[in-house]
Amino acid sequence: MGLLTNLRDSVSRVTDRLFTDSEPKRIGIYGPPNAGKTTLANRIARDWTGDAVGPESHIPHETRRARRKEGVEIERNGRKVTIDIVDTPGVTTKVDYKEFLDHEMEKDDAVRRSREATEGVAEAMHWLREDVDGVIYVLDSTTDPFTQVNTMLIGIIESQDLPVLILANKTDLPESNVQRVANAFPQHETIPLSALEGENMDEVYDKIAEYFG
Amino acid sequence: MPHQCTSCGRTFADGSKEMLSGCPDCGGNKFQFKPPGATDPDPEPGSGSSDRDATAPAETEGQTASRDDAEPRTRSNSARRTADATTDATTDATTDATTDATTDTTTSVTTDAETDAAASGAEADRVEAGDDAATGPEVDAEDRAQASARSDVVSPDELPDTDGTSSRPETGGDDGGGPHADERPGLDSLREELNDQFESIRIVGQGEYELNLMELYDRQEYIISLREDGRYVIEMPGDWGPDDE
Repeated sequence: MGLLTNLRDSVSRVTDRLFTDSEPKRIGIYGPPNAGKTTLANRIARDWTGDAVGPESHIPHETRRARRKEGVEIERNGRKVTIDIVDTPGVTTKVDYKEFLDHEMEKDDAVRRSREATEGVAEAMHWLREDVDGVIYVLDSTTDPFTQVNTMLIGIIESQDLPVLILANKTDLPESNVQRVANAFPQHETIPLSALEGENMDEVYDKIAEYFG
Repeated sequence: MPHQCTSCGRTFADGSKEMLSGCPDCGGNKFQFKPPGATDPDPEPGSGSSDRDATAPAETEGQTASRDDAEPRTRSNSARRTADATTDATTDATTDATTDATTDTTTSVTTDAETDAAASGAEADRVEAGDDAATGPEVDAEDRAQASARSDVVSPDELPDTDGTSSRPETGGDDGGGPHADERPGLDSLREELNDQFESIRIVGQGEYELNLMELYDRQEYIISLREDGRYVIEMPGDWGPDDE
């Protein structure tokens, strides 16, 4: 019976996908470490579901496993958009445990965090290949956006023809330079925001509804 | 002495398991195959030198293939296909040239050792080797030794250096490295080997990694976890069910 039930469930899931227009889009939140991805994911999830997605930290690579928040309903202009949010680990080309030692971490913990962060990057890249329908690319607007990681990821996203929204985060900081982000990726619209302070979230939700609805 | 270490010159009987973890004397991992008819260490003019050149890397590859674990194997599908194709071709060629007993020997050498050596060149060399073996008195002994090498698992006391991976050549990728994995003497070479074969993540040192994002993105296998001894656990596409998301 168990087999039959599983089979029936699988078939109904597949048919649901084929024939339901309202299947939530799975939106991956990508970006380099410490750009504010989890802060943004938590902001969106709290605003629309009341729950958080995961812990935030100023120490890089706090998110080392992709976390998903399903069925986030965003209402804009009388219209509802349902998305699944995937908060992914920060993508980088180098992980070194020594950078965690500056945050008063023991060596063993730092080494373990480093290993988990590396696994996290692999997972994030895997999700990008297999499992996302759109991307919110979060950048720290106080740092230089012209990096190998950003160029490569945006290139991959473009090659996949995935809709992408570029967010210039941390506008609450005095060093923030949104124009620099906009200049780095002129082919995409750049939305400034402070996920921490909740600044300009209305425009972010408008754009999410427009891009992923 | 069918096998000779290219570094220190130590020789090994055909099918010797001592070579599987590198030369016990110098640690070298390149060996040249010397069929019974060609025991002269000096390269002979003509066919002798080409025989040695082409055969040595094939033996080295075979040694690597038999001791590695899940990670390198993930990358060797195409190599296996090559091996299959070459096996067929070699079997045919050898059957024409030699006796049935030699066909068996030659086929198994090809299956075990062949990976990416050029099919045509390697094939010709093996036919030559088969001719020599057929005329020599050691054919039966070599068959047994090779059969043993193919089917047996090396016991730890046969190995000069304790290398946990060698004793379990066909275990899955999720086997643990053991509590003292980091202390194993071959760790650096293992890292080196993995880095060469698995370029998506380069292990620079303990807790230090370099990632090739394009490679990570391009590969179908999904790296689930890294082990402290530098090994990986990956999820193969074949394991993905329709419900895995």
